[in-house]
Amino acid sequence: MSILQDIKNAVRSRSIHVAYVDVGSCNGCDIEVLACLAPRYDIEQYGIYVHNNPREADVLLVIGSVTPQWVDKLRDIWDKIPEPKVAVAIGNCPISGCVYARRDTLTNPPVEKYIPIAAQVPGCPPRPTEILNAILSVAPLIFKDYEEKQS
Amino acid sequence: MRSIIYYIREFLRPEWLKNFFFAKTAPLVTPSYFKDYPALTDKECTGCFNCMMICPAPGGIEVLRRKDQWIPEIYPGHCIRCGLCVEACEEGVLTSGRIREITRRDKTAFRSWYHLEVDDALCMRCGNCCVSCPINKQEDPQLGSSGTSSSDEVIMRIEGGRVRILHEEKCTGCKTCETHCPNGAIRVARMVEGVHEEVEA
Amino acid sequence: MKKTVDVSIPLGPVHPCWKEPVRLKCETAGERVLRTELELGYMKKGIERIMRGRPWQEVMFLAERVCGICSVVHNMVFIETMEEISAIEVPPRAAYLRVVANEIDRIASHLIANFSYCYTIEHETLAMYLLNTRETVLDNLERLTGSRINTAYMIPGGVRFDILPEDAATVLADLVKVEDEMKRYVQMFETGPLIALRSRGIGVMSKEEAIRSHTVGPTARASGVPDCDLRLRHPTYQALNFEQITRTEGDNFARVMVRFQEIFQSIDLVRKCLDTLPEGPIRGGGHCKAGEAAYSGEAPRGELTYYIKTDEYGRVVDIAIRTPSIMNIEACAHSMIKDATSIADVTSTFISSDPCVACNER
Repeated sequence: MSILQDIKNAVRSRSIHVAYVDVGSCNGCDIEVLACLAPRYDIEQYGIYVHNNPREADVLLVIGSVTPQWVDKLRDIWDKIPEPKVAVAIGNCPISGCVYARRDTLTNPPVEKYIPIAAQVPGCPPRPTEILNAILSVAPLIFKDYEEKQS
Repeated sequence: MRSIIYYIREFLRPEWLKNFFFAKTAPLVTPSYFKDYPALTDKECTGCFNCMMICPAPGGIEVLRRKDQWIPEIYPGHCIRCGLCVEACEEGVLTSGRIREITRRDKTAFRSWYHLEVDDALCMRCGNCCVSCPINKQEDPQLGSSGTSSSDEVIMRIEGGRVRILHEEKCTGCKTCETHCPNGAIRVARMVEGVHEEVEA
Repeated sequence: MKKTVDVSIPLGPVHPCWKEPVRLKCETAGERVLRTELELGYMKKGIERIMRGRPWQEVMFLAERVCGICSVVHNMVFIETMEEISAIEVPPRAAYLRVVANEIDRIASHLIANFSYCYTIEHETLAMYLLNTRETVLDNLERLTGSRINTAYMIPGGVRFDILPEDAATVLADLVKVEDEMKRYVQMFETGPLIALRSRGIGVMSKEEAIRSHTVGPTARASGVPDCDLRLRHPTYQALNFEQITRTEGDNFARVMVRFQEIFQSIDLVRKCLDTLPEGPIRGGGHCKAGEAAYSGEAPRGELTYYIKTDEYGRVVDIAIRTPSIMNIEACAHSMIKDATSIADVTSTFISSDPCVACNER
């Protein structure tokens, strides 16, 4: 029923609950995500609510290059999130490991080996303006026609 | 009673009233002085690879040859936007934020040179380093397959049972010899110094 | 009579109050929390192992990314250690610009620490005010160095970019605005009755215990430990007549107030530096040579020490970094959260000691 799908698309693009998980980063990208919450680049005005609970989230923000302790636990957190769900990688660390991708490292980048990623925001760290631009351009598209794509 | 007066005074401040009625979040633009990903200018790249050798991020910048010119290419998922390549380029091919204006005004620069060192106890004179060095190939097209060479212009060659380094100053720091040595006997040290030329009075 | 059940409650790696993953296991007796135990290791990346055998221009970026909040001071202490090994002189204008960048970053770091604390106490208004002030401060850091976080501003022998006179005037004008706003917020924090209920007398650490558990930084200065600020031994700060700030109570309130007062002190230092900036070159050049040295600086969270050994081409052979959070987090978990009245006090005490877990397990 396409009217129902249109209503679902409209609602899902305007009210997104975001949970973030830090799988071993330097905290720079973390702080820039918090700076998005500040009144200057207010992310809540677009209906995006950033909290830390995987059970109530729609979008999972992954920050950091994967350390040995998180290799088995990241999949657990991803499985806890109810459908429909999407993961977004913020910063250079989940994409390629940033400066930690050398010979003697303990990390296992990229994060795509563990959970499916739908969008990436490169930068070390990406500016809050860049994070917001990326999220706003992606928000109407990620949940569009979700049921039809699943079947 | 005191708290009511406190709240009334708080809410009648002109700043608060202005923010309440005319509040706007900041526009989503990046300021011009931010060190963004380096962009190409219209100067010509000579293929000296200074930017590639000074880049601290693995795989951030690569200088590729397209048709008949060298073009540096930045990979956004790897580049950490430090701006060292912009400062190290002598031709001015890359630009980012205000870095080029400031370095030109202050007359600051990065000087880089490269040291080669061979550990004689580990070297087994296989000649891999001499054969794989791209500058050797350029200087002597008839380079021997085991690393010997009759030309005196090569950087290094095998002679007398050891690697002999002749022209260390021609090295471009690409570390091909280091990656191809089976024992890790030859090592390249990339040295960088930040200098500020004094302004002549 | 009903029986109370004693459980061990884990405050897990993913928690609303914490930005980084840390596991805190609280042993309870009914509602009171008797003891806590820390489980760390979620952020171990092996940075010190990656740094071996690399020249300074690559190690500098790795050292900065040990912690993204206090990245400027990691840069500064690493470069000053390399300068001590190779005996490189820094021109006076570069030394003052280094202090300016360091102090602006310290203001931003203290604002984030206090934002965390106010957010944990659920005083979201004050938390958002502080975060908004931080944006003005980071704007100025961007004008000086070119980026907000992970700036890479200092190199052996000096700094990378010079400051224009109109930028210096903008920085000073913005700092006046920041100072006015901070005075209002400090007054809000000091006189708020609910804040006092959750901060005064909670998580007390006496001076003897602070010295015994080797705390450093504002956590120690709030308990009255004398002479633990390493800026007192730095020649540029000594030329600016620096004095450290201490308090005696040792509870959550004192720790947060020490950070607020250090913000005012940093604004003062930046003003003094920019008003008396000497002329001259900003880079003195210098090669990195072989040697071994241990050098300490003052990070926003305490004492930061780098032990470095180099070879004759300036590459790092061996390195060990001792960050302040290593001492502070253990002291917090063992000495401050003894016999707390409820679990809400556990989270607020832990955040008031300003843990930076990425620093802890680089």
